[in-house]
Amino acid sequence: MNMSNNAAQPVHIDRVRKTFGEFVAVRELSLDIEAGEFVTFLGPSGCGKSTTLKMLSGLLPQDSGEIRFGNKRIDMLPANKRNIGLVFQNYALFPHMSVAENIAFGLRMRGWSRADKDKRVEQLLQLVRLEGLGNRKPEQLSGGQQQRVAVARALAFNPDLVLLDEPLSNLDAKLREQVRLDLRDIQRRANQTTIFVTHDQVEALVMSDRIVLMNKGGVEQVGTPYELYATPATEFGARFVGANNLIAGTLDKSSGAIQARIGPETVQPVSTHSNNVEKDGMDIWYCVRPEHVAMRPQSSAGHFGGRVMDKIYQGTTVLIDLDVKGLGTVRAERPALEVGDLGVGTDVGVHIERSHAVARLG
Amino acid sequence: MSAARLRLTPAIFFGRAALAVYLLIMLLWLTFPVVLVLLASFQGTLEVSFPAPVSFDAYKTIPPSYWEAFWFTIRAALLATGIALLVAIPAAWAMVRGKLAGRRIMSNLVLIPDVVPQLILGIALLTVFIPLRLSNSFAGVMLALVALSLSTGLRFTEALLEGLPDEYEQAAQSLGANKFTTFRLVVLPLIAPGVAIAALFIFMQNLITFELLFFISGPSATPIAIRLFSDIIDRGIVPYAVAMAGILVYVAIAFYTLVAVSLGPKYMAGSVMSRKG
Ligand SMILES: Nc1ncnc2c1ncn2[C@@H]1O[C@H](COP(=O)(O)OP(=O)(O)OP(=O)(O)O)[C@@H](O)[C@H]1O
Ligand SMILES: [Mg+2]
Repeated sequence: MNMSNNAAQPVHIDRVRKTFGEFVAVRELSLDIEAGEFVTFLGPSGCGKSTTLKMLSGLLPQDSGEIRFGNKRIDMLPANKRNIGLVFQNYALFPHMSVAENIAFGLRMRGWSRADKDKRVEQLLQLVRLEGLGNRKPEQLSGGQQQRVAVARALAFNPDLVLLDEPLSNLDAKLREQVRLDLRDIQRRANQTTIFVTHDQVEALVMSDRIVLMNKGGVEQVGTPYELYATPATEFGARFVGANNLIAGTLDKSSGAIQARIGPETVQPVSTHSNNVEKDGMDIWYCVRPEHVAMRPQSSAGHFGGRVMDKIYQGTTVLIDLDVKGLGTVRAERPALEVGDLGVGTDVGVHIERSHAVARLG
Repeated sequence: MSAARLRLTPAIFFGRAALAVYLLIMLLWLTFPVVLVLLASFQGTLEVSFPAPVSFDAYKTIPPSYWEAFWFTIRAALLATGIALLVAIPAAWAMVRGKLAGRRIMSNLVLIPDVVPQLILGIALLTVFIPLRLSNSFAGVMLALVALSLSTGLRFTEALLEGLPDEYEQAAQSLGANKFTTFRLVVLPLIAPGVAIAALFIFMQNLITFELLFFISGPSATPIAIRLFSDIIDRGIVPYAVAMAGILVYVAIAFYTLVAVSLGPKYMAGSVMSRKG
């Protein structure tokens, strides 16, 4: 059985913009998505994620810009002509139809024969692992099952693009973890070009081929989960994705190498991502992930002097707040086994294993 | 919870008893007129006595002109209800979903027939109907009822649609359904229970509308309410008038039961707007 969407085409979003009166909800958004790619729009509440999806799906007209599938421009088409599958936060399954009728709705609209419809519905029930539940009404399913029906309904008619707007936010934490892996798996097997919207950075990191980090209607950064985590382009990215220590400093290129200068005496090598971090002497944030803060016995050379101020046990890891000479307060996250005997008040040597700089504005 | 439930202190007991009595009085007050009319219809007089022989004599003496007026009213009320809903549902959909400018004003305008005294509405319609030769005709009575039903129908369906999240319609469209198909396959089935209840209310209202029809009716178009009124004014409370009043009560109960049975009881109690019960 071939589930994969062979007709998949790349999606081009070209300078799409939306305002509500004076308010700019989406500033010129451009993005090219490969066929079969899983792209996540990540950003805080109100940053314009849903507005972007609504423009893509045709439920909201954009002010300007173009949307194309391959070479075909689709942004002038009404929602029912775009061939886009939508999964809503509340699933919006038709309560008066059975699971099978829900899944078949898009096929019915496309005039599929009875036999073809039945076959396709069976395929999809199998894909989302709900075999035998086709005759149930949506209200007779659990939240996670409803969610999968919504996905099946959106995939059934081989859409060019599937859009999911925070489809996991109504599930409890445990189920959410399970379903996001399921969803990812289904998307891969169907080779379905997908845009997924979330404000949960873990969800974005776990599921995506690429992440579009959004803030206040604009794009902050586009990259793989690894790129977003390891090399944030902006202060917003450094703060929003994962935990980070942000220490104010300046860029120091006097020695030729790229270094961060913190306070009068501390100079540390640092990586940068964006080309707006290049001017010697400019204000930067020196960013250190807690897991890149290592602790050694105090005697060892080449380390900052530090003192353990607080310890927060989290199970596998322990958060340690350190007072570090030359850096200030720094949070470390280490495996519990490694720092089990480290008491509050202990003096330690602190080693920064990796660091990264982003521009500091204002 | 369960522990608290088991401990029936005197205070709680009297509280509950008081509540029960209160509800009982309220129910009696609400049902008293209906019960009185029904009892009277079996005794042929409003001076109801206990115990009294039950007889159908009053029903047997209902004159043909009453039956004529009765069926006239049923036909006009049914037709007006149907027409009003046929017009009101798409109109309400356009108003609620269309995001038309001035929609607030529109949805207030259509309430006018409901808030203006029916007497005034009746006079206004009469001035229009006379030149059109619609007064004293079935069509005239029916159209007057449509005006009234439309207002109620729009109010009902507007509320029903407001209560329906527009995601269902958006989902249907994204799946390829055009506006009309979306309306037919998604909107209509989802509001159908509410519409059935609206139809029930509108039909009842039409059945007993009096003031509005007072001027429009005439010898060749007499609704039952007008017939009863003029007879009672002329001859006092005659037994067959009471019997006819009883029949109107049966019609009301029959329609209520019909709607209740076809929807299931969960829709009837509580909010008219609840879709899932
Ligand atoms: N119809 C509208 N009229 C005016 N402003 C709107 C409208 N729709 C959205 N907005 C505004 O546009 C901004 C973006 O909204 P949007 O729904 O896209 O946010 P979001 O990123 O999806 O947020 P969330 O994570 O909370 O869903 C918000 O500030 C919102 O208030
Ligand atoms: Mg949103």
